[in-house]
Amino acid sequence: MTTPDSLDSLGTPKAEFLAMVRQALGREDIPPAELYPRLTDTVAELEDQATQIRQRLEESLPALLDKLADMAAKGGWNVHRATGTEDAVGYIESIVRDSGTANVVRSAQDVFDQVPVDSALTNLGAKVTVVLRDDETPREVLREEIRQSGVGITGADYALAGTGSLIILPRKGLSRLVSLVPPVHIALVRAQDLLETMDDLFLLRRLEYHQRGGEMGSYLNFITGPSRTADIEMTIVEGVHGPKEVHMVILG
Amino acid sequence: MPEIKTQDFSAASIAAINDPKLRRALDRVASGFEVARLDRVAEATPEVWEDWRQQARDIKEHTIEHLDYYLDLLYTNVTAAGGHLHFAKDADQANEIVAHIAQTRGVKVATKSKSMVSEELGLNPVLEAVGVEVWETDLGEYIIQLAEETPSHLVAPALHKSKEDVAELFSEKLGIPYDEDIYHMAATAREVLRDKFMEADLGISGANFIVAETGTLVIITNEGNGRLSTSAPRIHIGITGMEKVIPSMQDLSIFLRLLPQSATGQRITSYVSMITGPRRSDDEDGPEEFHLVLVDNGRSNMLADPALREALYCIRCGACLNICPIYARVGGHAYGWVYPGPIGAVVTPMLVGLKRAKELPQASSLCGACREVCPIKIDIPRMLLDLRKKTAESPDKNLRSAPRIERVLASLYVRLMSGPKLLGMAIRFGRLLQKTERIIPFFSPMTKDGKWIRKAPLPLLSRWTRSRDLPTLPKQTFHDIWNKELSRDDS
Repeated sequence: MTTPDSLDSLGTPKAEFLAMVRQALGREDIPPAELYPRLTDTVAELEDQATQIRQRLEESLPALLDKLADMAAKGGWNVHRATGTEDAVGYIESIVRDSGTANVVRSAQDVFDQVPVDSALTNLGAKVTVVLRDDETPREVLREEIRQSGVGITGADYALAGTGSLIILPRKGLSRLVSLVPPVHIALVRAQDLLETMDDLFLLRRLEYHQRGGEMGSYLNFITGPSRTADIEMTIVEGVHGPKEVHMVILG
Repeated sequence: MPEIKTQDFSAASIAAINDPKLRRALDRVASGFEVARLDRVAEATPEVWEDWRQQARDIKEHTIEHLDYYLDLLYTNVTAAGGHLHFAKDADQANEIVAHIAQTRGVKVATKSKSMVSEELGLNPVLEAVGVEVWETDLGEYIIQLAEETPSHLVAPALHKSKEDVAELFSEKLGIPYDEDIYHMAATAREVLRDKFMEADLGISGANFIVAETGTLVIITNEGNGRLSTSAPRIHIGITGMEKVIPSMQDLSIFLRLLPQSATGQRITSYVSMITGPRRSDDEDGPEEFHLVLVDNGRSNMLADPALREALYCIRCGACLNICPIYARVGGHAYGWVYPGPIGAVVTPMLVGLKRAKELPQASSLCGACREVCPIKIDIPRMLLDLRKKTAESPDKNLRSAPRIERVLASLYVRLMSGPKLLGMAIRFGRLLQKTERIIPFFSPMTKDGKWIRKAPLPLLSRWTRSRDLPTLPKQTFHDIWNKELSRDDS
């Protein structure tokens, strides 16, 4: 295979390109007279704001869970408010049964300790693959498993009540493809995953970025409803490249 | 760069207006996107919406005014995340960069998610020339690629095609039976392209925004092809214009609200993907390499011109196309290049040269609807007027848009209107001509009630009245009334 041959940039050297931009702007080589306020936030200030967000969420949790359910449904999710673990597992069983698939993939996230789906689905006769790479199962093998699956199940890193969006941060144990390649996606959302708005989310992401010394992981995905297109005669068709059917199971 | 046909705007417009199939397609846009957008504005309340627009504009204005600073910051953070940032001064250089990456990494198959900038660069033929198989994966772009055409709308590239057109195209190019069911056609695209995603070595995407503080590329999609293109292949290259940078991740929320609601009337798209560098060593999947190519390709011309700088605030939502009475009649292809509609009429002349696109700033009634719907409050009519001024006043004959006779008449008109004495004389002479119209049959252009001139005399003036009526000269002008009566009225 290939390796990056160098870390250098191609094209116009940075200094030359920036000089061009500066010339077009008619400015000298100086930073903005007033630094952008957001970029001067300290970690302590961001932490302070994060605490306020957490407080606000705690105070209005039941109302926000209702809002999440409402907005998620408007966004195209099939929303199921689970009364408990058993109910959640039962709902997932029924989705897998209806899909008629023999193969299910799921991510390796904490939520599956709370909602044990594997044995229930195995009893249905489905093969459940946990997408977690190790020495015996390299990326390529897992990818083929995902491709052969009719249902993908993930947890949530966050859920946004304001837009009904699921937020996932792909990483070890959470493949980018489990929520994307199978035609059915089921997402498990816990009360603790809940945020109100995008503003909340981006503040927390910035905080984590700075707390981790400038690292935030490679990917963040908003998922709001099924994959869609309206590219032929503006007729909405669901399930183009991503899942046609998406379920949000809200625990709590 | 793709072929530039901006010179043919007039002829192409006439052809488009006479195309009934295009009429139906354009009617769907007007009734679809714009109605949905209005619902969202009402939902947010017009006051809140206005506040969002101003916030978004402030962010864009600040960033563009300090673009050098933010590009430098972006470079630092893309690199820190393990990615590569390449600057390209023009289309050729951008294409070379991508082709170089593809060749040195042994790329055979590339999948692309929607990127207007790659359309602007004409990237696909360059990659194909170095032996890379390129697949457009956005359904609209895929249709356009099969048909060997260019997009006709920023957001819905194939809107000019009917379902029968697409069914025929699929049948011919994919060798499948003719089937005009839209759901079946979408399923066909899924099936064909699914294999390509898995096979591809390289995924190419555009970017809606790039965050300087974290080096993050943001793409907003509905189909999922953007997620697949940036997740499945071993290399990801993002290509976009240098103006897409914003300072901080927290600035995103305002744009993520405004863009989808303005574009399609959706509260949010199905997917928003934020990519920061290549996959980390313990990630389950994702590309091994992440490259970002930022292009100038004429954007510094806009940056250097204070009158046109705000064209760089555009987030390509297409709302100005959806409301424009000109776009609604001529469609996207008449504009002759990649960016159609009101914003295209500003951006295109700056990217391909005003000389080749001098007709585009004329493609507006200056009604101001584009300015009203723009989520960034870009004053498009003002810029169109500025470009018209540039073409009218240029010492370069090739740059002037109006024929010589029009210029002569315009200067006579200015002289006539700038002095009351001369104007008064002209009005009296005109009245005389109006009175003679029954005597000389050549001058019989008035309506029966004598209020309108249907057809002005002389071939030159009659062209003006071909689609307009001119009011006849009144018996008394305001000046006459003032002089005779009102000036003496002390109450």
